[in-house]
Amino acid sequence: MSASAESENPPRPWIWATLFVTNMALIAAADIFDVIEQPVPLILIMLNMCLLAPMIAAARQRQEQIGAMSPALRIYNNRALACMFIYMVAMIAGGNLYHVVGEGSPLLWPIAIVPVLPLLGMIWTMYRYYQDEQDEFLRHRAVTGALVGLVLVLVTGTVWGFFEMYGLVPHIWNWWVFPVWAIGLGLTTCLKQRDGSAE
Amino acid sequence: MKNRLKVLRAERDWSQQDLADRVGVSRQSVNAIETGKYDPSLPLAFTFADIFEMPIEEIFLRE
Repeated sequence: MSASAESENPPRPWIWATLFVTNMALIAAADIFDVIEQPVPLILIMLNMCLLAPMIAAARQRQEQIGAMSPALRIYNNRALACMFIYMVAMIAGGNLYHVVGEGSPLLWPIAIVPVLPLLGMIWTMYRYYQDEQDEFLRHRAVTGALVGLVLVLVTGTVWGFFEMYGLVPHIWNWWVFPVWAIGLGLTTCLKQRDGSAE
Repeated sequence: MKNRLKVLRAERDWSQQDLADRVGVSRQSVNAIETGKYDPSLPLAFTFADIFEMPIEEIFLRE
């Protein structure tokens, strides 16, 4: 792609990110207020996860363009994409198999464990990135994002927990912590990217 | 912390990317340091000093 073509049509990862977050919020709201019933929310979440692939591809292009890429970040992106792909396949397969094997079956154990493995892989991928990144500004940006993600999880969990205790909001599955943490990480990375953008 | 990176770069006719390549960091890092949004570690500040062949205190200054 030529330089003029890149400037005319620059990658816009935030469009994909906004679409992803908006969809997730709408699905969560529809599920919480019983507008849709399982497995519809699960299928919608799985479909929405597909948006992460173009988002990461656009983010990678943008990082290359603005000089925010490092060898460790390239490896991280590849590993994260692989984990996300395996996760999506495991979730789609699990969502379908759940209704085939039925409640109480011991086969539910492997169905539940399989999507956990790529998520644990994501956590390991992040750990490796923090270890491997030699560019201290990029590492500082990633660590700050992880801390903001943690703050978001603590605030959301604490507020929701008390609301739930008094029956004001319904119970939600605990795996919400990972996407909420990732949203905090992603938003901070986008905001901190501005610190090093313009020459 | 203030710094004279922009001036020193201009004297050598280096872009941020040129300096980043010499130091071994991303262009974003150079920009963040140059604009005072990120203070480099001591080892990285020494690397800048080596590249410009100047003492650290002539590149990075107190506020």
